[in-house]
Amino acid sequence: MGLAILLCVFGVGVVIGAPVAFAMGFAALAAFWYEGFPLLITFQRATAGVSVFSLLAIPFFVFAGEIMLHGGIAGRLVKLASALVGHLKGGLAMVNIFSSMLFGGISGSAVADISALGSLLIPVMKERGYRPDFAVNVTVTSSIAGIVIPPSHNMIIFAVAAGGGISVSKLFLAGVVPGILMCVCLAIAAYILSVKHKYPSEPFPGWAEVRRSSFDAIPGFFTAVIIVGGTLSGIFTVTESGAFGAVYAVLLTKFYYKDLSWESFVKSVTGAVRTTAMVMILIAFASSFAYLLALYQVPAKLSTALVTISDNPIMILLMINLILLILGMIMDMAALILICTPIFLPIAKGLGMDPTQFGIMMLINLGLGLCTPPVGTCLFVGCAVGKIKIEQALKSIWPFYVAIFGALMLVTFVPQVSLWLPSLSE
Amino acid sequence: MSDQSPFIQRLELALDWVRSLCILISSIALVVLITTFGWLVFGRYVLNVTPTWVEQLALLLICYIAFVGAAAGVNEDTHIGVSLFRDMMPVTVQKTIIIFIDIILAAFGAIMLSAGVTLMQFGWDSNLPMLEIPESFRTLAITSCGALIFLFAGSRGLIRILTFSAWLPEADLKES
Repeated sequence: MGLAILLCVFGVGVVIGAPVAFAMGFAALAAFWYEGFPLLITFQRATAGVSVFSLLAIPFFVFAGEIMLHGGIAGRLVKLASALVGHLKGGLAMVNIFSSMLFGGISGSAVADISALGSLLIPVMKERGYRPDFAVNVTVTSSIAGIVIPPSHNMIIFAVAAGGGISVSKLFLAGVVPGILMCVCLAIAAYILSVKHKYPSEPFPGWAEVRRSSFDAIPGFFTAVIIVGGTLSGIFTVTESGAFGAVYAVLLTKFYYKDLSWESFVKSVTGAVRTTAMVMILIAFASSFAYLLALYQVPAKLSTALVTISDNPIMILLMINLILLILGMIMDMAALILICTPIFLPIAKGLGMDPTQFGIMMLINLGLGLCTPPVGTCLFVGCAVGKIKIEQALKSIWPFYVAIFGALMLVTFVPQVSLWLPSLSE
Repeated sequence: MSDQSPFIQRLELALDWVRSLCILISSIALVVLITTFGWLVFGRYVLNVTPTWVEQLALLLICYIAFVGAAAGVNEDTHIGVSLFRDMMPVTVQKTIIIFIDIILAAFGAIMLSAGVTLMQFGWDSNLPMLEIPESFRTLAITSCGALIFLFAGSRGLIRILTFSAWLPEADLKES
């Protein structure tokens, strides 16, 4: 009965449009009240949920992303991508995807990726004759790469949700190949559509321009090298790397690029505060919610139910993918990682899947949910930037869904895709 | 919500001011967090001296960024929610649901405030390690968050009830 109250209150909260974080908090309150526990446990769990040392990396990553957005690093990465791949068929779509790989890799935020690159590239793509829905769909779907290409704050949330037994360094390495694979799949889809719609390619600017834009972008790209390299080398913890990366980004944009004004600094700080608060409050109340799910033994019950439906590992993995995909469509990523990891990770481990591989699979699934209504934050932001209706974007997004789904299946069923790179470092 | 009474105008102005203050407090906490943590990395790897209090201070600051920032988000309506199903309903039903959410949120804030005060009373005698300040300073973040959510959601609900015929839900506002 307590579990029914928890899920019903939460379900009603989500359906009527209450903020998801508070719907989880209110559901937890109702369940604790029903069980006769003191209500303050909800808030004790919430405070404990955010007071986790590894999670301190989140504000640093988010802040570094904001500084890159407002301090001129994003623009330089687009210039580099333009010089490198702009001359291919559907050049600007390729630039968009390649820029997402570079920028998303540093900011780790899909929404920041769309805001930064979408506002730069979508208007230019429209001007050059690309259909607006194509421009939006390329931007939206390529932003998912940022979730798996390191450094990604979602990987840290996954490591925390898994109980601390998973190395963040291994997760960082495991995300590289799937991230690149996703971008390659998207580039193939964009290429085929570009040939079909006769989209133009940009003139090759010459090797001198490639060299110049590379030198200009490399110091900015070094932010990611500091964060990932610091963590992988074991010199810094992930939190220290994040802090160092954030300070480096400020110093670089202020004193080297000279693009960081006081106004853009304030914009970056307030932007980072808003995003961090939104993510952390979800983590806080998801902790209370996940505590109750564990108390009601939901992971064990669901595991038994899944095994009862089928004992074929392929079927079970497909079912887990489907459930994650559906959940990703209706809830936010951070909360889902905290709630679903304790439920599905033991099942995946039972099937012989490596926890790191499971983490990458989960992130791609939930990332795909960000591009799908009804929640689809990335799709909403992309459509707002591209000034088109969601229905318009949805009509032509399917080739990109197919591309990402292809990459997802490879990550799910070919362990080497995510585990090859970490195995080299062992 | 045009042609508002002076009371509502003053209330909205006060709420805006409180929200800006919340963002300012959280922003200062973020800048202090980044600066002190940068100092910790510099001290640990360059000066070979680790200022251990920084880690505890960081865990305290993150509570303020999360909870005070989240309260401002209630006023700015930036928290993630699924309005798709609500948007399908008639305008009057939508408005009633929005007011209901405000009331529920205000109630949630009140419970949070009350729980926060109790937690602060529990924590007054034990200190945060390395910082030597009462544990209650950590739970003050959740207490403030409760009070602010109660204020923001309660006031917004009150304004919406008082001006029921003068506003439209966001989805209908975009269409009109």
